[in-house]
Amino acid sequence: MTIRVLTVEDDERIRASVKLALEDEGWIVDEAPTGEDAITIFQSSPADVVLIDIMLPGIDGFELCRTIRKISDVPIVMVTARIDTHDVVAGLEAGADDYLTKPFAPKELSARIRALLRRVRPSAPGHSKLVFGNLEIIPDEGKVTLDGKEVPLTKTEFRLLCELAHDPNGVFSREVLLDKVWGHGYFGDGRLVDVHIRRLRMKVEVDPAEPTHVVTVRGLGYRLQS
Amino acid sequence: MILSAVLAITTYGFTRSSFVQQRETAEINQAFANAKRVQNDLLANPTDVIGALEQFGSAQRLVYIGGVWTSNSKNFTQADIPTSLKTRVITDLRAANMIVDHAQNTALIVGIPLEQVNAVYFELESLRQTQDALRSVLIALLLSGAITTAVGIGLGLLVSGRTVQPLVQAAQAAKAIAQGRFDTRLETTQDRDLQALTTAFNDMVETLQMRVERDARFTSDVSHELRSPLMTLAASAQVMHSRRDELPERSQAALDLLIGDVTRFQGLVEDLLEISRFDAGAIRLINEPLVLIEFVRQAIAVSSLPRTDIVYASASEQILVQGDKRRLARVFANLIDNARIHSGGKPKIVIQLADDDPTMSHVWVIVEDDGSGLIDGEEEKIFERFSRGGSAGQRAGSEGAGLGLALAAEHVALHSGSIWAENRTDGIRGARFIVELDIFVASTVPEKSLPTTEASA
Repeated sequence: MTIRVLTVEDDERIRASVKLALEDEGWIVDEAPTGEDAITIFQSSPADVVLIDIMLPGIDGFELCRTIRKISDVPIVMVTARIDTHDVVAGLEAGADDYLTKPFAPKELSARIRALLRRVRPSAPGHSKLVFGNLEIIPDEGKVTLDGKEVPLTKTEFRLLCELAHDPNGVFSREVLLDKVWGHGYFGDGRLVDVHIRRLRMKVEVDPAEPTHVVTVRGLGYRLQS
Repeated sequence: MILSAVLAITTYGFTRSSFVQQRETAEINQAFANAKRVQNDLLANPTDVIGALEQFGSAQRLVYIGGVWTSNSKNFTQADIPTSLKTRVITDLRAANMIVDHAQNTALIVGIPLEQVNAVYFELESLRQTQDALRSVLIALLLSGAITTAVGIGLGLLVSGRTVQPLVQAAQAAKAIAQGRFDTRLETTQDRDLQALTTAFNDMVETLQMRVERDARFTSDVSHELRSPLMTLAASAQVMHSRRDELPERSQAALDLLIGDVTRFQGLVEDLLEISRFDAGAIRLINEPLVLIEFVRQAIAVSSLPRTDIVYASASEQILVQGDKRRLARVFANLIDNARIHSGGKPKIVIQLADDDPTMSHVWVIVEDDGSGLIDGEEEKIFERFSRGGSAGQRAGSEGAGLGLALAAEHVALHSGSIWAENRTDGIRGARFIVELDIFVASTVPEKSLPTTEASA
């Protein structure tokens, strides 16, 4: 399957160079100079991954991210100017799956995209359904239900949940989750895990403030339990 | 102070003389009256000398009659009377008085010839009370003098303090500003002369602050503007690089040069941006507890010499530090770059507890090389921006822009650590750069750094 990337960036030259580099990977690249254009293009030809620069004329990257999230679970990579501002957390809260800081090397970008598009590990035969009390996961169908009702998860949220489900009651440190879900090394950002766990809880917990499934193991990490 | 002392002493002198004189006169008059009574009693009853002496009053008396001394007190005998007074009264038969020391006190002795009974009468009146009174006066005077002096000094200090205080504040403010705290301002005052100075001072700081911020913003803006074209350059160069084999040899060489310098340029721009963030105080660390050995290993892995050796005692494996891992990793990457570029040697990293640290609360990460070492006086200069040290000549043309060590120093300071350079102390030629960090104690892990909510068993 050919990967289709939508890159939203107002700087024409950066857009062009990113397009050249990603096309070298054998991917199809759509370009949008504004958020408004991005929505139009995305609706006519849905991409497999969207790359959004936060600083956009018109509707900004956060807004665009929220808009796309409403209609799609497509992986989104945010591009920010700085790592230590609220932009990163705000972007993740808006629904982004990962972020990159400018300037980034095209190789770094393609690696991130590849990690986000990784498939969930196929479940072992006879274990097509994982049950955690009122929470059920069917990895092969990409389906999750809470009290029998289907819960809409993004691809990254689903992969995170499946990683946790892979070893029921096992504790996963942020570093391990960063590596398995995002493919980041040691210098990955733990905030990615924290924000995604929070989002996951909003969906798979009856009371997200008192989680019973995705629980914190203080000082160690997270665990999935029934 | 001298004035008040002189005043006190003079006052005392006057008081004393008038007081004593008054008392003497009174005593002498009383003595004459007493002498008259004694004479009358003796005339009436010449044998009862003791009786005549004891009939009245409290004064100690002595009568010399017919070569016999009779006293009404054991404490007053003829031995107490000075010879000169005796001669004058007994021989010359003239009334006289004298102040003597008696029983550790001053006393007044009055001698009066009693001609009608052919006797001599002496009376001793202690001046102790007078003296006590005088002493009280003296103490009071000295005390009031001292108080006056103290109050005077206090007032003087207060007044001069009020005058000097604004100057002290201005000096402190100037110092704070020199240290980069540009939000420092002088407080407004009621004093009109001072107000003019305060306003001028504050205006000056305001202008200075604006200028510094403008400079910092300029650096930041320039770097930001350079970033985008650089990113395009780097991405395009990479596209060319992936087709390098298709290019003629000369184009390949040109492409290699292009990629090398684009990378270097990007590094410089990033360093400049980071420096301008320091200058603007806009850096926010993303701190977390780090296992030091593991962290240093990871930092080396992404540095320009990923195979650099680490030497440490096994006891150091558990050491934690608190830090922003990306920024802290830059410190070690920069130190390794520095060793690689400037010493041309292979650096080694040593991790150990800080020397001379009885509390064992600091750890040293030492980047050691076997290069030419540091020239005298170079130890601090190399941490300055765009400094390449004293041996710049032999180092010129290298890839470092001279910001690496300056940035390392800023980052370490931001982590409340220290960094310094020195020549190796183990007898081998070369330099060593020591980064001292606080050891992090796990029990003080702030809640924030942990994922929130409950811990279930």
